[in-house]
Amino acid sequence: MATVQVSEAEKVYILHGIRDDLRVDGRGCEDYRHMEVETDVVSNTDGSAKVTLGHTAVLVGIKAEIGKPRPMIANQGYLEFFVDCSANATPEFEGRGGEELGTELSNTLYKVFNNQHSLDLKSLCISPGEHCWVLYVDVLLLQCDGNLYDAISVAIKAALFNTKIPKVHISSDEEGGKEIELSDDPYDCMRLDVENVPCIVTLCKIGHRHVVDATLQEKACSVASLIISVTHKGIITCSRKVGRGSLDPESICEMIEAGKRVGKALHPPLMKLLQQEESLGNKRQKVGFLG
Amino acid sequence: MLKSKTFVKKTRSGGVMKVVREHYLRDDIWCGSEVCTECKQDSAVLQRDACIESSLCPYPHYLVPDTNIVLRQIDVLEDPVIRNVIILQTVLQEVRHRSAPVYKRLKDIIHEQGRHFYTFTNEHHRETFIEREPGESANDRNDRAIRVAVKWYSQHLKTAESGSDGLKVVLLTNDQGNKLKAEENGLVVYKFDEYIKSLIGNPELVDCLALSNDDKNEVTSSKVLFPEHLPLSKVQAGIKSGSFLQGTFRASRDNYLEATVFVQGEGEDSTEVLIQGLQNLNRAVHQDVVAVQLLPKNQWVAPSSVVLQDDGAAKDDNVDEDEEEKVLTGPLTETARRATGKVVGIIKRNWRPFCGMLNVSQIKESTRHLFTPADRHIPRIRIETRQASTLAGQRIMVAIDGWPKDSRYPNGHFVRSLGGAGEKDTEEEVLLLEHDVPHQAFSQAVLSFLPKMPWSITPEDMAQRQDLRHLTVCSVDPPGCTDIDDALHYRELENGKLEVGVHIADVSHFIRPGNALDKEAANRGTTVYLCGKRIDMVPELLSSNLCSLRSNVERFAFSCIWELNHKAEILKTRFTKSVINSKASLTYAEAQMRIDDASKNDDITKSLRGLNKLAKILKRKRIENGALTLSSLEVRFHMDSETHDPIDLQTKELVETNSMVEEFMLLANISVAQKIYDEFPESALLRKHPAPPPSNYDILIKAAKSKNVMIHTDSAKALADSLDVAKVDGFQYFNTLLRILATRCMMQAVYFCSGMDSDFHHYGLASPIYTHFTSPIRRYADIIVHRLLAVAIGADSTYPDLMDKHKQSTLCNNLNYRHKMSQYAQRASVAFHTQLFFKTRGILNEEGFVLFVRKNAIIVLIPKFGLEGTVFFDSKDKASPNLVFDEEGPTLKVEQHTFHIFDQVKVTISLDDSNIQHQKIRMALTEPVIPGVSVPVPEAEPQAKKQKLDR
Repeated sequence: MATVQVSEAEKVYILHGIRDDLRVDGRGCEDYRHMEVETDVVSNTDGSAKVTLGHTAVLVGIKAEIGKPRPMIANQGYLEFFVDCSANATPEFEGRGGEELGTELSNTLYKVFNNQHSLDLKSLCISPGEHCWVLYVDVLLLQCDGNLYDAISVAIKAALFNTKIPKVHISSDEEGGKEIELSDDPYDCMRLDVENVPCIVTLCKIGHRHVVDATLQEKACSVASLIISVTHKGIITCSRKVGRGSLDPESICEMIEAGKRVGKALHPPLMKLLQQEESLGNKRQKVGFLG
Repeated sequence: MLKSKTFVKKTRSGGVMKVVREHYLRDDIWCGSEVCTECKQDSAVLQRDACIESSLCPYPHYLVPDTNIVLRQIDVLEDPVIRNVIILQTVLQEVRHRSAPVYKRLKDIIHEQGRHFYTFTNEHHRETFIEREPGESANDRNDRAIRVAVKWYSQHLKTAESGSDGLKVVLLTNDQGNKLKAEENGLVVYKFDEYIKSLIGNPELVDCLALSNDDKNEVTSSKVLFPEHLPLSKVQAGIKSGSFLQGTFRASRDNYLEATVFVQGEGEDSTEVLIQGLQNLNRAVHQDVVAVQLLPKNQWVAPSSVVLQDDGAAKDDNVDEDEEEKVLTGPLTETARRATGKVVGIIKRNWRPFCGMLNVSQIKESTRHLFTPADRHIPRIRIETRQASTLAGQRIMVAIDGWPKDSRYPNGHFVRSLGGAGEKDTEEEVLLLEHDVPHQAFSQAVLSFLPKMPWSITPEDMAQRQDLRHLTVCSVDPPGCTDIDDALHYRELENGKLEVGVHIADVSHFIRPGNALDKEAANRGTTVYLCGKRIDMVPELLSSNLCSLRSNVERFAFSCIWELNHKAEILKTRFTKSVINSKASLTYAEAQMRIDDASKNDDITKSLRGLNKLAKILKRKRIENGALTLSSLEVRFHMDSETHDPIDLQTKELVETNSMVEEFMLLANISVAQKIYDEFPESALLRKHPAPPPSNYDILIKAAKSKNVMIHTDSAKALADSLDVAKVDGFQYFNTLLRILATRCMMQAVYFCSGMDSDFHHYGLASPIYTHFTSPIRRYADIIVHRLLAVAIGADSTYPDLMDKHKQSTLCNNLNYRHKMSQYAQRASVAFHTQLFFKTRGILNEEGFVLFVRKNAIIVLIPKFGLEGTVFFDSKDKASPNLVFDEEGPTLKVEQHTFHIFDQVKVTISLDDSNIQHQKIRMALTEPVIPGVSVPVPEAEPQAKKQKLDR
């Protein structure tokens, strides 16, 4: 994980600030930094989104491919995650430096998103036991400035919202052989229902309090943090503790409550934004990577 | 400005892929009109006064056809009357995607300067590019793109300064929906036929109109005659699962109700499926790729040996088919039954424009007529024309538009007229077209690769070649030959051994790989010799001058030089590029005379004698090895020098010198084959002649048996030996007849690439390996062999395609195809000239031999003319005599008389021009006289015949 060196004096300064609900950049403990979301940024994916959160920038692309359903769950499609920690984000990722972090991130993503409660996986099924859509979710870290989980989860939600899967029809002949037929209209496509897709909120325990959306400096002051994924109804679908320090049960409860609150508040503006963007259609001016 | 085009496509593995292409729009695409002052174009294609006289559009106008118009009505668009047409890129791309031949024709028109066809790249123009909208199909989008472009044009030309002269843009479409929308947008739009019919002064164009779908329905009755074709997806699924077979449809020449489908299996495993009856043939046309379904075994039938032609007046669509088809059923022996099937779907149509003639309808005012193609594999086609009276008696070309399931005949339209039937030029054109012989003049691009004249040999050339100018080289060819590709020399060496050289024109020096000249030659494959006409493979400058090894000029040669002992055994072989100076070009007869004339003792004559002696030894050795001497009658016409009409006809005679030259050519070919195969085992171009399957010989054995002669066919040697001893007393011609029959049993010799095959044997020549090296002027295979040999001896450099066995193999396929077609064309040309010959002769009475016995006819060979003809015993208008056909013989009993193979008969020969399309030689039996009134005495006036007999 990308880290910064912070001196003791700085740590004390940050710690004291947080105690008084005033962070170095002027935010309160439960405030996010400025966030920007743009969808449909990579044209050769089926759905994509770019999210910047402070200086953290992630790009998510989703490719839909036809595959075979998992044997145990024949009537569902599934998601595959891959997180690429590019050396662009930080020099530490050079070579195989980002691999460990990438695996850790993608493991969490599997837990959070790849289940029937987050996404209607049944809608990804084409013919039970034979064909289903597999969504390959590729996450690219462009810049690391703390709070990767939250940024990634928002980007994934936006990308899933943006995903257009071509509609297919199964035609079968007398012999029972099945053939997949594709519609030739590029507008004839299936959209995913992303209402229940959760967002991740990372809470960092700093001193006696906890903050959301910690910067790298704040992170350096924290010994442990809690990751919780929250749906728009405030239901927690997953929680994980990261970091080497320990958390006492009382503060865990506090943190979960805070996470729920923050997470629930995160969804409506995001959805509103996405729908607004969608309604612009072709007329939307794309910002892309240079804007 | 950048846009991207997105579409999804299915991958081979069944996945789905999203493809994104960048699409750039520009603002510097000009409109191409002379009227326009805004566009900064250098030279405008579209004329200012674009005038086609039309009653619908009296003002100057440009035409914009939509895709379907181009695809279906290309024959009309090709007419020079149609000028000033804007072809939109949308249309061009769609045409290219849907039909390569039409695309090529369209491109040709566009390139023609005088036609003023302009391609407007509307898809890249900033103002005419449109994106597909949600819910819009690809076709709708293209139609809209066309409308947008037309709209843009009409506005663009209006705002141009000189817009006052009322120039308009006319959209042509047959699509009702498109037309309505265009009218809503205020565009000038007409249906194509409306427009063409409105043209003043060009009524004949109407005939070229292809029928569009809505016209077709009224043509035919409502009764459905044929089963529906299955959709392609079902056909493909069926082929995958094995319930259908895919193959090439081959209609029978002799019986229009019968066809075979050749199913290419894995490797050698190919089968033929028999199809019988109109319903089962189900509208397939010769050479279509079709899907067939096998019938249950108990419905399998045997191929009928009846000759059946679909002629007479147009049959009503609801005629009782049983009546037509009952002739097919005959006694069925279990062994004769073959796999029989029915056509369930068409995978690929292989329609081309067909040559033929019009059968003018009996009803005078009728505009619908039947067209009979010259190729008897093709069914008759119904076309619509108002110039039937002019077209009757002319050879015309017709294209098929479609074959609805409720029509007895396919529907087509008139393409062009080739000229009066029976005229020599027309008929020659027809037979070249029908045999797919490329016969256009060589293009400028091809000619540009010819050496510059005057041409001379440079010192550099000499340095790379061996100087053999001092040798006494001479050539021996048929009379009148101008493309001499081989010459010989012979001398005794100081060591007592003999040296023989075969010098072949070095064509590969002039034709370099890959250039236009080379490609053209590769496509033509062979020079085609017709009676009195030669269709060259390479331009005349090469074929008759620079490459031709004429006497007393210095020429480049590729030489194969052997050292032999007096027993004609090869001691040394050497290949070299050389320069020779032939001392004499002789004809076979001249050479023969020199050899025979004891008083002549010059160098040339001495060489000829030496060569002749060696050739005899070589020939004997070859025959001992089992080479076959087969026979086919070849005829030669004496042409009138002015009219080029045949005035006499004789079978070709062979003299010793023919076989002398042939022997050394064979020897050279074999030596070269061995050399290139040793050097390039993977990519040598060789020629093989497979041994025929034993069943091929059945007819030969049966025929010989009827004269108590045994023929052994276990090996080529056995066959050759038994042919040699096959003689019947008092029947001189028997042996020749047997050899003619044996020739018919043989397989075709073919070119192949050594890396793609393992069987190299040449059956007829009894040689383990063979190729063609000695006629590079007239065969492309020889050029490749020359290149291979040149690389092998280090005289030339190689190039990638030469060593690519797959490319070689494709080339071989083309060469084999061209070779076969040129033979057919040649035969057709001989047949045509024979007809011309008999036209002037009236009715002749000649002796002949029965060559084959069929169910209802015998095929008679007239040795004097090398002519084969069929004597039918049944005819439509007469009660047929009592016919008993015995397949074992095979014999045919007509009333009391039984015909065997080789029976001597007398026939009258006359030209039957009752059907001008298929003028044919009619033969009728005069001897043996079969008693009874029903004796099929010829339709030719018996009066005339009797007089002849009396004489």
